[in-house]
Amino acid sequence: MKRLRVDKWTGPALVARPRACCSPVLPLGALRPRPARPEQHQPASRRAQSTAAVAHPAVDPTELPSPLPERALQSAKLAALHARLSLPQKIPLQTLARTLVDASADSNVQFNNANLAFVGQTLINYHVTEWIMVRYPRLPMTIVWEAVRGFAGNKALFDVAKSWGVESAAAPGGEVDPGLLQFSLDPKDGVTHLQFGYERVEAAYLEKYKWRRGISNRVVFDDDFGDAVKESADEEEEDDPNFPAEEDPSLPAHMNYGTADTRAVAEKAHATFARALVGAVYTHCGREAAKAMVRAHVLSRTLDLERLFAFKLPTVELAKLCAREDFEAPTAHLLSETGRASRTPVFVVGIYSGRDKLGEASGANLDAARWKAAINSLKAWYLYSPGEHVRMPSDMLSPKAKPWEPVYIDMGEVVSR
Amino acid sequence: MEVQLTRRPAASCCHRLLLSSSRRPSPSTRPLRPPPPDAARHKSSTSRTKRALNIPPHPSFLSPASVPKPSNNAAAAPAAGPSPSSHIIFNPPSAAPSVYHTPFKFLPRSDPRRRAQLPANLFSSSATIQYNATPASAAGGDVDPNAFPQVKPHAGSLYHLSEADVAEMRRLRAEDPVKNSVTALATRFGCAKLFVMMCCTSSLEHRIKMKEAFAEVRAKWGPRKAKAFEDRQRRWEMMLKGEL
Repeated sequence: MKRLRVDKWTGPALVARPRACCSPVLPLGALRPRPARPEQHQPASRRAQSTAAVAHPAVDPTELPSPLPERALQSAKLAALHARLSLPQKIPLQTLARTLVDASADSNVQFNNANLAFVGQTLINYHVTEWIMVRYPRLPMTIVWEAVRGFAGNKALFDVAKSWGVESAAAPGGEVDPGLLQFSLDPKDGVTHLQFGYERVEAAYLEKYKWRRGISNRVVFDDDFGDAVKESADEEEEDDPNFPAEEDPSLPAHMNYGTADTRAVAEKAHATFARALVGAVYTHCGREAAKAMVRAHVLSRTLDLERLFAFKLPTVELAKLCAREDFEAPTAHLLSETGRASRTPVFVVGIYSGRDKLGEASGANLDAARWKAAINSLKAWYLYSPGEHVRMPSDMLSPKAKPWEPVYIDMGEVVSR
Repeated sequence: MEVQLTRRPAASCCHRLLLSSSRRPSPSTRPLRPPPPDAARHKSSTSRTKRALNIPPHPSFLSPASVPKPSNNAAAAPAAGPSPSSHIIFNPPSAAPSVYHTPFKFLPRSDPRRRAQLPANLFSSSATIQYNATPASAAGGDVDPNAFPQVKPHAGSLYHLSEADVAEMRRLRAEDPVKNSVTALATRFGCAKLFVMMCCTSSLEHRIKMKEAFAEVRAKWGPRKAKAFEDRQRRWEMMLKGEL
């Protein structure tokens, strides 16, 4: 896992400095804003920072890419959102308004939520990954990535932001209510989306030649979900066959709007807002408040880890596992059956190692029942958990923490994937 | 109805039924197939059949108060025990075991659950030291798996093939992949087909030829057979993903 360098972000990266011009506050490869449009330069230079409430009688709001910070104090939607989320009073409404401005609406990093989202996504991904690795120490790395995506991916955070009751503006602009989420659906309009991570040198060839990326390689080079960082984020959604096509009748009504592309854009914008809000909580209220926020809104959601698994040769994998752990070789026994000669027979097969039962499953034929029992045995191995109240490494950051007891660390995966 | 059921003196046929169901079957005689239905269902008359099928509910459904004691009469029995309203019937339906319940063998040494179950497992076969039966049954220690027939009996790997045998196997497979098929080689060398496939790879031409031959066979299938084949494949994939 990558180290969380919290101390590196607290100072210059987060404090909004008035009069500081658009200096790159993030690593150059990490944040790639497209240069602002020439017509945006003039209003942006005249705007003050979010915390400085200065009247601008001469500014026409329709010329600005996003609402002026002082308008945040007049927005009922913002105040309602602040109260609904029980945010601490330390977080000013101006910062809350800034978390709602996506980089596609306002490319100026002094006014959009890119910096806050970067802090927030790092914190969310750290806490989620830590929670998964301590609670389920035997999960294979690919399952860990998918579990992190299930908790902290764009789709999950889109649901979180939706559940907070955040509405989006039809189009971004200086005249819209600052309590609305503002993003642009036009991919050519300014910075569309931000990706955080290192881009590989060979990134262009990964798709073209189907180069293999090993697990250790992906841990080092790729992002927190195990995906390669690409130059344009929009292409990956087009390649994704699981992404719903236009007018998908199977989707619920609130998901079935626009096209697949616009839905992806909206999803990312909502997720970026959720990340930025965690970043804002961290900036104003500190580490513990941000952690509590991640616990309450992200980790409290239910993700059935059992359904993330897919096996190829479960019986072979189980035999390898038993050999590695010095258990007796697994044997399958028919525990009960009914309707063998009928159209719908049911066989219940249990897998034993010595006298210990490892797993059990029912199936319509003996082979299926045996394979399912092997799958259940492997899931029982991988989903071992030391308990619900395990201490996380981040608990030790508290000054009053008790001495650390080492958590269980598994020796590794059974088969390479 | 329930009261009548529980207080009714068990008929002799019911008594026999109950006895046979409550007794633990011995491992060797445990019937996997139930007896033919007509043996249990049919009696000479309707009333006898009704009486035979009118068996009392399972003991787990009865409250302690409603169980008649053999010495007392029926009127004195309910006053002796707790009232039925104070009794909780816990009889969950049979369900597949959860994969989140880690088997005893899979618990790491440091886990406190392992230490808690260890004495019960150690002395599960002891006649003198009697621990509570629950931890042993949770570990699966009280059931002998050999009492149940083995699915796909497998003697375990014999490790009887030497390097020269594998070289010979490869030579034969390369020489004539049609005659020396995977099945033929597995029979000849007395090993699993998977082992043959781990050792040898046939030539690309042979694989293409086999694929084309199978495609020809598939082309001759009717729509029903083709659909059944596809469905079977899809079901297998779903099973591997845990969706079935």
